[in-house]
Amino acid sequence: MGIRTLRKFMAAALLSGCLAAAQGAAADTIKIAVAGPHTGSSASVGEQFWHGATQAAADLNAAGGINGKKIELVKGDDACEPKQAVAVANRLVDVDKVKAVVGHFCSSSTLPASDIYAEAGILQMTPGSTNPKVTERGIATIFRMCGRDDQQGTVAADFVVKRLKAKRIALIHDKDTYGQGLVDAFKSRINKLGVKEVLYEGLTRGEKDFNALVTKVKAAKADTVYFGGLHTEAGPLVRQLREQGLKVNFISGDGINTPDLVTAAGGKQFVDGIYMTFGLDARNLPSGKEVLEKFRAAKIEPEGYTLYSYATLQAIAAAMKATKSTDGKKLADWLHKNKVNTVLGPKEWTPKGDIKVSDFIMYRWDATGTAKEVK
Amino acid sequence: MELHIFAQQLLNGLSLGAIYGLIAIGYTMVYGIIGMINFAHGDVYMISAYLTAIAMSVVFSFGVDSVPFALLIILAVAVLVTAAYGWVIERIAYRPLRGSTRLAPLISAIGMSLVLQSYVQVSQGARNQGIPTLIKGSLRIGSDTKFVQMTHIQLLIVAVTVAAMGALTFVIQRTSLGRQCRATQQDRKMAGILGIDTNRIISTVFVIGASMAAVAGVLVTLNYGSFDFSIDFITGIKAFTAAVLGGIGSLPGAMLGGVILGMSEALFSGFVNTDYKDVFAFVLLVVVLIFRPSGLLGKAEFEKV
Amino acid sequence: MAKPASALTKSLLDALFSGVLALVVLGPISGLVLNGYQVRNEMQRPLLLAAAVMVGRFLFSLALATERGRSLLGALSARAQQGVTVAEASPPRSLRLATPLLLAAGLILPFFLSKYFLTVLILAMIYVLLGLGLNIVVGLAGLLDLGYVAFYAVGAYGLALGSQYLHLGFWTALPLAALLAAACGGLLGFPVLRMHGDYLAIVTLGFGEIIRLVLNNWLDFTGGPNGASAPPPTLFGLEFSRAAKYGGTPFHEYFHLEYNPNYKFIFIFLILFAVVSLMVLFVGRLKQMPMGRTWEALREDEIACRSLGINHVTVKLSAFMMGAMVGGVAGVFFATYQGFINPTSFSFFESALILAIVVLGGLGSTVGIVLAALVLTILPEMLRDFAEYRVLIFGVAMVLMMIWRPRGLIRIKRRSFDLEGLR
Repeated sequence: MGIRTLRKFMAAALLSGCLAAAQGAAADTIKIAVAGPHTGSSASVGEQFWHGATQAAADLNAAGGINGKKIELVKGDDACEPKQAVAVANRLVDVDKVKAVVGHFCSSSTLPASDIYAEAGILQMTPGSTNPKVTERGIATIFRMCGRDDQQGTVAADFVVKRLKAKRIALIHDKDTYGQGLVDAFKSRINKLGVKEVLYEGLTRGEKDFNALVTKVKAAKADTVYFGGLHTEAGPLVRQLREQGLKVNFISGDGINTPDLVTAAGGKQFVDGIYMTFGLDARNLPSGKEVLEKFRAAKIEPEGYTLYSYATLQAIAAAMKATKSTDGKKLADWLHKNKVNTVLGPKEWTPKGDIKVSDFIMYRWDATGTAKEVK
Repeated sequence: MELHIFAQQLLNGLSLGAIYGLIAIGYTMVYGIIGMINFAHGDVYMISAYLTAIAMSVVFSFGVDSVPFALLIILAVAVLVTAAYGWVIERIAYRPLRGSTRLAPLISAIGMSLVLQSYVQVSQGARNQGIPTLIKGSLRIGSDTKFVQMTHIQLLIVAVTVAAMGALTFVIQRTSLGRQCRATQQDRKMAGILGIDTNRIISTVFVIGASMAAVAGVLVTLNYGSFDFSIDFITGIKAFTAAVLGGIGSLPGAMLGGVILGMSEALFSGFVNTDYKDVFAFVLLVVVLIFRPSGLLGKAEFEKV
Repeated sequence: MAKPASALTKSLLDALFSGVLALVVLGPISGLVLNGYQVRNEMQRPLLLAAAVMVGRFLFSLALATERGRSLLGALSARAQQGVTVAEASPPRSLRLATPLLLAAGLILPFFLSKYFLTVLILAMIYVLLGLGLNIVVGLAGLLDLGYVAFYAVGAYGLALGSQYLHLGFWTALPLAALLAAACGGLLGFPVLRMHGDYLAIVTLGFGEIIRLVLNNWLDFTGGPNGASAPPPTLFGLEFSRAAKYGGTPFHEYFHLEYNPNYKFIFIFLILFAVVSLMVLFVGRLKQMPMGRTWEALREDEIACRSLGINHVTVKLSAFMMGAMVGGVAGVFFATYQGFINPTSFSFFESALILAIVVLGGLGSTVGIVLAALVLTILPEMLRDFAEYRVLIFGVAMVLMMIWRPRGLIRIKRRSFDLEGLR
């Protein structure tokens, strides 16, 4: 090989190398944000969102990505605070230039952030904001993967009144958008069924001592306690109920569905007999088997919202594949009309962006510290 | 109103108040000696809760099966490490600011509190943590349906708080260390001139305060069984309120303030409204301070000209 | 040659001591991670950290042993800056140019920024306003207020609820919310102004919490944790949204412009910039007026003031109300910029942050406060790339800044007067 050919060859190699690098840099990735409380007191949910989304992105990328482009996830932290939610939403839109958003979690963050995504024409789907208001404000590009608090409360209320035949129901919430919304939905349903609550109280998130409240439940002679809130408060509450010798039924919503409830309550003996509403557990669905094994292999228990986050990314990816576009408006139109097969099973959306069929069912915790479906 | 319900609420308030009192000791001692609100104290308490759980799982993994022995080891570990935290925090964040404006240490304390909280979050994760129930059972008085009760661990908390308060009062009033503390408190410069190593005394006070937070952390974790990295603020602010209510700088005041705060919270929440119990607690504080501007047992400040 | 050797030994001993201490302190928390009722061993983390601490301490001790190192470190320590400095009677010429330049920059800059930077800047300006307001209370009048966020909340909710129940627009709500906040300041301030120093701090902290708790619990009126939405500002009835929501004409339609979501934020920024500039001017004047003089005198010596016949209650109350009013104005801007508010934005941490701005700004220095507010609001945004370490770094920065400059970024200068000029 002469010097000349060698030189030519090198130039060609160099050129092609440059071209390849340039193509790589021209962002043949689709940026999708995972927004939620990655710090602060609800950071465990942010962790679940992130685990779910990273696994989904890895799986989708392994299968060729979206229209030949890889998914790149961007973390957006709102710490469950509206101010930070607005700041991070603006940043995701302007600086990171994301094409879609998985998030947020706290409804009080989802609400102000959704305005910003809507203005920018970006698709947003929340895996966990169950507050009805989220989809009730006429924004076309917002969706949710979870049910709504009013649906969840209704399912629980029917169960408590019709199956458990409860007569004296105490309602306790955690003074947060989610917990209070849930309890209010539950309340209006039991009132419709002709049962009046004997107690309606709010506790403070982050506190651990609910003994005074428990004694009040005792004084009200309640036979059932319905709690709207998260496992961090449900655990100590149910423990203190049992310690003060109250054998009442304890019912709550999806916020307590994590193995951490056992840790929060201080042992399996305390969670025995707790009822809760939750969507069909994807961990028991045939669609979830394969994904579940991947999570377990990575030593992550796909609890709480992990699979919801996984499914959200699946739905967004499906819409992007089908429309060959990342335009929020087009994606939304497609999602409103089509069914998506996700790890949580097939999902369809109403024109508002809610899930068409809410899949809330009742579960009962047992002495082994796991929740089983109530037949 | 039924009597046993009322009595039960009083007992609920007593055990809650004892916890506030135990944490309030740290606030009141530090405030007493350098006139500074140690915002990082709640975080030290939170760290002690983590240490309890960590020490417990390590102790049990070595096959220790005697609960009292395990508890002693856990307590020792928690107190030792937490005391080191108290010393380090004072050395890093407060000592360089001595002799500066009064507000500078306050801000660096807030910064320190952020650091500790997010340090624990980053290294331990954000999940709620817990320990298995070690001490079971409770003391019940009355018939099967109408009774008042305190769990054994609640009784232990009240006993420990009273004992700690007594021991510390003795140390402050009767020992040489206590005299040096009081001298430093009254006039640091003068105490220094008289040969007291005031830096050492202040460090000691921080260590004692942190140890009390450690004891509180262990007992509270045994009591409620669960905790996370954000318990620092909500308990810290209540304990601090208790210290001010009782008269900041006064040890019996911390106890008294804690019990009053705990009981008023329990009674208000039990017989009026749970939502507004914290509002009531703060209103109580404001009203007390309007009529007794130095708290219930605090000494009135006289201004020298 | 005994001396260097001993310095080396000492440094090594120091390093060893701090290394062991770091291991005790950091070991259990970062080395043994809780997982259910078990722990996972992560001992490499505290070992690395302790090694870093040892190296750092060793270098520090070595530096202290040399003359040059001592002087270098001395410059960074607190002791270097005691006492009071006195300003020149008339500001140097270079500073006279700075003001119009800054004003021009503030008026032109927003048109060239992306929306994200614009919103960060708006937030920073809101904090400048809050800092200036709290500075009147803490810096000038010397009343430690740990519940300043209460007035901020009153302003924000004043706009949101005013528009919800009374159909007030931004421009009507702005003065009304300011007055409401001032009234609240008076109402809260009156009973507590007898108290001294830290007791006052605690009572104000209590008030801050009370307001937040009431906002959170009074569901029927405030919307509780669900929050309330606030209207955006209008320009003579023209709205900046894509479609008019409050019964006006959208700005871009009226002027036949392409719709751009930035318009709203540019507009908010410009009003805010004007308000902040006015506020800076106002506070500057206030300091020279009898009222401002009395505040500062009262801060320095209350007893002397009272014996000179100054009514300390009205003076303190005026500072309290003035500060509250500014907080209320800041709240209105916060609500209109955000479009939605709920009680989580008004926690104690917010009060602490504002106080940090004032203290870091140098307790009384206007320039310092502007600087500190910019640093403390833009820093967390810049730290977003550090994800979960963001708060940690922010906290460390706060501690370090306090140790480096306990009297604030800007040294406050007492005014002096040119007697020649007065004659």
